[in-house]
Amino acid sequence: METLHYLSLGFGVALQPENLMFALMGCFIGTLIGALPGLGPANGVAILIPLAFTLGLKPETALIMLTAVYAGAMYGGRISSILLNIPGDEPAMMTCLDGYPMARNGRAAEALAISAIASFMGSLIATVGLILLAPLLARFALTFGPSEYFALFVLAFATLGGITGKNPMKTLMAAAIGLTIATVGIDLSTGTQRYTFGVLELYEGVDFIIAIVGLFAVSELLFFIEERAGAGREMIKVNPLKLKWREIASIMPTTIRSGVLGFIAGVLPGAGASLGSFITYTLEKKIVGKKGYFGEGDPRGVAAPEAGNNGASSGALVPMLTLGVPGSGTTAVLLAMLVSLNITPGPLMFTQNAELVWGVIAALLVGNFMLLLLNIPLVGVFVKILSVPPMYLLPIVTMVAFVGIYSISHSTFDLYFMIAFGVGGYILRKLEIPLVPVILGLLLGPEMEKNLRHAMQISDGDWSILWSSGLSIGLWLVAIIGLLLPVVVGPILRRRMQAARARTQD
Amino acid sequence: MSKFNDRVFGLVMLVIAVAYYYGATQFPVPFGGSEAVGPETFPKLLAVILAVCSLYMIVKPDADNPWPVAQTFLELGIAVVVLIAYALLLEPLGFIISTMLAVGTLCWRMGAKPMKAYLTGLISGAVVFVLFTYGLELPLPLGLLEIN
Repeated sequence: METLHYLSLGFGVALQPENLMFALMGCFIGTLIGALPGLGPANGVAILIPLAFTLGLKPETALIMLTAVYAGAMYGGRISSILLNIPGDEPAMMTCLDGYPMARNGRAAEALAISAIASFMGSLIATVGLILLAPLLARFALTFGPSEYFALFVLAFATLGGITGKNPMKTLMAAAIGLTIATVGIDLSTGTQRYTFGVLELYEGVDFIIAIVGLFAVSELLFFIEERAGAGREMIKVNPLKLKWREIASIMPTTIRSGVLGFIAGVLPGAGASLGSFITYTLEKKIVGKKGYFGEGDPRGVAAPEAGNNGASSGALVPMLTLGVPGSGTTAVLLAMLVSLNITPGPLMFTQNAELVWGVIAALLVGNFMLLLLNIPLVGVFVKILSVPPMYLLPIVTMVAFVGIYSISHSTFDLYFMIAFGVGGYILRKLEIPLVPVILGLLLGPEMEKNLRHAMQISDGDWSILWSSGLSIGLWLVAIIGLLLPVVVGPILRRRMQAARARTQD
Repeated sequence: MSKFNDRVFGLVMLVIAVAYYYGATQFPVPFGGSEAVGPETFPKLLAVILAVCSLYMIVKPDADNPWPVAQTFLELGIAVVVLIAYALLLEPLGFIISTMLAVGTLCWRMGAKPMKAYLTGLISGAVVFVLFTYGLELPLPLGLLEIN
């Protein structure tokens, strides 16, 4: 009952004309960002954060817009998977398997429509799951003390590389680099200057928005230049849509199963949308068995991963909103937005900022309908924009990133900083050190240190308080498993994903 | 396959970790006496983690990804120089002109025809300028185009 009350409060916020308008804008931009190869959702949301700031939006409006971008990007990823056989983002990889063959068989429009419907169902199921699960988890999280939070942060870092991550030591290295950068600036509880070297601009610490935009947007530009992918690739023409209701009905069991499974994968730490789409595709292939023709353009093979990754992306919002601990790159960037709006994420947000949280959740539901409407009739528009070659697109995206950062503070110092982060990001990516933990470290560093200090003050300097309660021991255990599991399971999973993809490309 | 990259990076990070730890020992004692956990505790902890990871990368490096050579490396260098020049010239030249130059050069180096490239730069710069200055009321520098 309480949930329903809050939800109606949320709809009151989400349905305000201004918020509706920004949600629609976010959905449109998000789909675009998702569709463009190489411009992943984390990257896209990062570029938009400074703009949301300079627009002077209210917190809920800004967050609604960016969440809409996030949801939209998950929809958009499928377009380039189907038409170009290049996933727009990593989770859309599995959509290539059946989407591209379907398009080659002259059923591109049907593949796009089916995947849009599957995305819609996946998001819908997961948003309902979010509504049911989030308040429960938030209430549970209220029992967390500082030592539990510290363990939780460690868990977040340990699992961030994901089960598909390559080298856990590099994930750890990345997290440590991020945390290290976060210690620059004046220490909040004692006023001690740390690593500022007397530079005035460093007193307030490194602004993580600058770091995020630099790491993602600028390094992406450098990667495109290196790969000489400026000209773009050939695209399959979209045929007129001929989709029967019977066909939509026939994919429904698949989408529902996959949506639920995707949601679970999204909520769990370390799984995320990529794994969500992989599991759902594999499972669906098993369930349908010989009756299907997976890998050769089976509509169910398009529906399953799309429902899965959209389900997972909404599911990933659960730990971000309730615990303040994001499970993926994009939710980390969304968290950055919250932190810069001076909202402390975590369980208290559900009571202190109820309007904001529930407004965003309601906006997810509203945005999902918008996305379905945008993505079926307007798919042609996105296809047109997709045919703009990256050699024009990426410089413009970089320019938008410049404007965004410049307009926050009107200081060129920030721009140099951003470029430096871009070059650094490029080097890290070359060394296969993941960027997301760096960002998460930057973001969570201050909170992590604060919780460590509180815990130590409570125990009067006894370190064993960090693993004294059952809950914190459990969290530490999961963290250790999260760090070790990729070493054992990772290679197997990665090989299977590669194999599945290689088979369809022959 | 050489394994040079990870080793060099590990070595650099190891040096940074040591310097970072040393830096933490140099913090002045905070006002009111030191506590069990002061401003230096967390950095010291991080320095240890950084050092362990660095050592791991030196001892067990992954195979290298090739670095860009010759032409490609030059193109990357040009891109970085263009970005720095963009930041440098943004205020003196004004947003529209500097954007035309920066975006134009980037498009051109990525393979567009020079005319089309700079035209893209000019149009995108002008559109964003109008949008920001009049639409959002966030004035961007006009630089040389300013009439006084």
